[in-house]
Amino acid sequence: MIEIKNVSKSYVKDKKSVNGLNLNIQNGEIFGFLGPNGAGKTTTIRMITGILEPDEGDILVDGHSIKKEPLEAKRNFGFVPDSPDIFLKLKGIEYLNFLAEVYNVPSEERQNRIEELTKKFEIYKDLNSNIESYSHGMRQKIVICGALLSNPKNWILDEPMTGLDPKASYDLKEMMRNHAKAGNTVFFSTHILEVAEKLCDRVGIINKGELVFVGTFEEMKEKFKEQTSLEELFLEITEE
Amino acid sequence: MTFLLTKIFLKSSIQKMGDKYAFTSNAKSNKNKLILYGLLLLYLIGVIGFLSVSLIDNLKEIHQETVFIGMILLLVLGVTIMQTIFSGINLLYFTKDTDSVLPLPIKPYQIILARTNVIMLVDLVVNIFVGLVPLLIYGYMLKCDSMFYISSIITLIILPILPVILISLLIMIIMSFSKITKNRNRFQLIATLLVIILIILLSVGMTKLEANTITDEQMMQMMTGANNMVNMIKGYFPTLGFGIDAITSGNIVTMIMQFAKIIGITAVGFVIYIFLAQKLYFKGLIGNLYSTSGRRSGKVKISNKKLGLGKQYIGKEFKILFRNPVYLVQCVLPALLFPILIIFLVGFGMSSEDMQEMSQLTNMLANNKSLVLYGVLAVTQFFSMIIYVSATAISRDGPNAVFMKYIPVSLYKQYAYKTIPNIVMNLISTIVVLGIAVYLINISILDCILLLIVSIIMSSFTSFLETLVDLKRPKLHWSSEYAVVKQNMNLIFPMIFSLINVGAVVLFNYLLQNIPAYTGIIVVGVVFAIANIIVNKYMKNHEYKLAENIM
Repeated sequence: MIEIKNVSKSYVKDKKSVNGLNLNIQNGEIFGFLGPNGAGKTTTIRMITGILEPDEGDILVDGHSIKKEPLEAKRNFGFVPDSPDIFLKLKGIEYLNFLAEVYNVPSEERQNRIEELTKKFEIYKDLNSNIESYSHGMRQKIVICGALLSNPKNWILDEPMTGLDPKASYDLKEMMRNHAKAGNTVFFSTHILEVAEKLCDRVGIINKGELVFVGTFEEMKEKFKEQTSLEELFLEITEE
Repeated sequence: MTFLLTKIFLKSSIQKMGDKYAFTSNAKSNKNKLILYGLLLLYLIGVIGFLSVSLIDNLKEIHQETVFIGMILLLVLGVTIMQTIFSGINLLYFTKDTDSVLPLPIKPYQIILARTNVIMLVDLVVNIFVGLVPLLIYGYMLKCDSMFYISSIITLIILPILPVILISLLIMIIMSFSKITKNRNRFQLIATLLVIILIILLSVGMTKLEANTITDEQMMQMMTGANNMVNMIKGYFPTLGFGIDAITSGNIVTMIMQFAKIIGITAVGFVIYIFLAQKLYFKGLIGNLYSTSGRRSGKVKISNKKLGLGKQYIGKEFKILFRNPVYLVQCVLPALLFPILIIFLVGFGMSSEDMQEMSQLTNMLANNKSLVLYGVLAVTQFFSMIIYVSATAISRDGPNAVFMKYIPVSLYKQYAYKTIPNIVMNLISTIVVLGIAVYLINISILDCILLLIVSIIMSSFTSFLETLVDLKRPKLHWSSEYAVVKQNMNLIFPMIFSLINVGAVVLFNYLLQNIPAYTGIIVVGVVFAIANIIVNKYMKNHEYKLAENIM
């Protein structure tokens, strides 16, 4: 469960990039975080994951404050950043072994977990190669495997479908569904409205740092009856 | 078009030296930065000035002051060669803009010219600094006329062109073989090492050749005739003699003649360079661009043995450092190469007479324990200025540095893990220095152990300080790894901290002259151990605040 309580952040004086954000992402829920470029999505995700400290408010991950108990909070989520170009000089297997140590994955689980994840994403046979030799999609896959290695209850994914081939994209969506079904939380940002509509239990739309809509797609359609397509709904909510 | 392209390449290669160092709209912060840069500049000019004045004074006494001009021009050529080896490979082959430039309708020679111009301009800035200040001091001390200053400036501009094109050509020849390799990283490293080794062998060869051609009689003549010694230097590089003559002649016709010779030789070299470069450059560039580090198949070894976080983390740091040719060459190799070079010089460069003199020195030093211990300790600290591992610990990760902030590992622990490789590099260079000390001045094993411990305590203090500087002023947004190690003001700090440590050793030697040398060295160790505790406490207490600039 992720609770965002009255969180604000400014990079420059008198201009809030995120303003008084309140959100509760419940266990068993897939939550899509939408918004135009520069709306505050990445800033919000960076605050949830501890990369940025909120100026005001707090964020709790499974009850642990990212401000007061950062290590406990961080142990309870797996994070996929927007860029998969990470530790390119390491071999895939070295990267996963390193993360297994960082997240303290028990020795007996490690081998099964790495095999299971990398075989599912079809990168198992490439684990002996440096990550820099991977394609963009393969890099995205290894980062996802790394984030899910410790089987965290909360998944936080920043644009996770970018660069994935249709099969990997389908598999990831299935995994997200199964993870939520098992009573866990998935929070992800995306630009692909169709993915959000098909996958999410609820969505939040942020624009200019303010949360302008939270709810299910049915509620969104109900609220803006005159709009027919999903794109039109999104534009209506986020336009000036 | 070539001019425009040069401008674009120059802009993309000379990025900001780091956001924290740039001037902003904040007047107070700009004023502070201006004072800092001013002090730094004064300090460097002061050091260069002090060395120049003493050297010129000494040379004047033996009527060989023109040797100074030869030495400075030789230094400029040396710096140009070293600078071109490192910057040339990166600017010609490893910049990220290559992908965007190749599809444009630009003639190949224009790209080569623009790239070469950038290398020359970068070299020129360094050379003006290295060469002009000492030459101005020389002009002032010897009351030279305006022709001296004009000829000095022209020489500093035209003399380094030939070494730049020669080294660039050498790089292109080696890089044109990149097509045959599948592993780009390994090739990058081998190519860089090959260029360095070839240049060292060439310089050693030229020095030996020059030394062999001078007979003892000629040497005596040079020593006794006023300003004749400079002739010894002239043969080290084809156009060096003309440059020295242009500055020292004092005759306008001779000066113009000498410049004509330099320009003539350089022009011929340039035409040959452009002709050959068109055949070689793109062969290597494309080979390098499209060869990957190669995917390997085979049995995957999944380690289910827990190594411990510290070992894994430090191992990761070393892997990234050693597998990245730019980081390896710039951060690790100098620490290993310089002491090895010294061993080479000590081992092969000493004649039997030198060895005799050395044994006399050993006997003399045997009675002065204090000088030996403090002296060797100061030398170990001096070498830490060329180790840039900690000074780039955070910057090297680039945008990935945020990884530190979202994993469940204490930030302080991560800072320590990132500092340890620097301490290890210091340990290696200290061992080499102590080995040389054992060989040359016969210091005992007990002395070695004591010096090793104290030296590591001292350099671990500076290593933590360097990590601290990089945390406060990280350079995370760069277009190539080269920018992290070359266009980064943080790299001044290893030099400053190393000189402070050397100064501290000298100061302790003075302050503790009344107590036994062993006790004095132990006091130095204790003082620096306390300094280590303070800096670590600071890092631990401010671990989150220190990471504020990583985003």
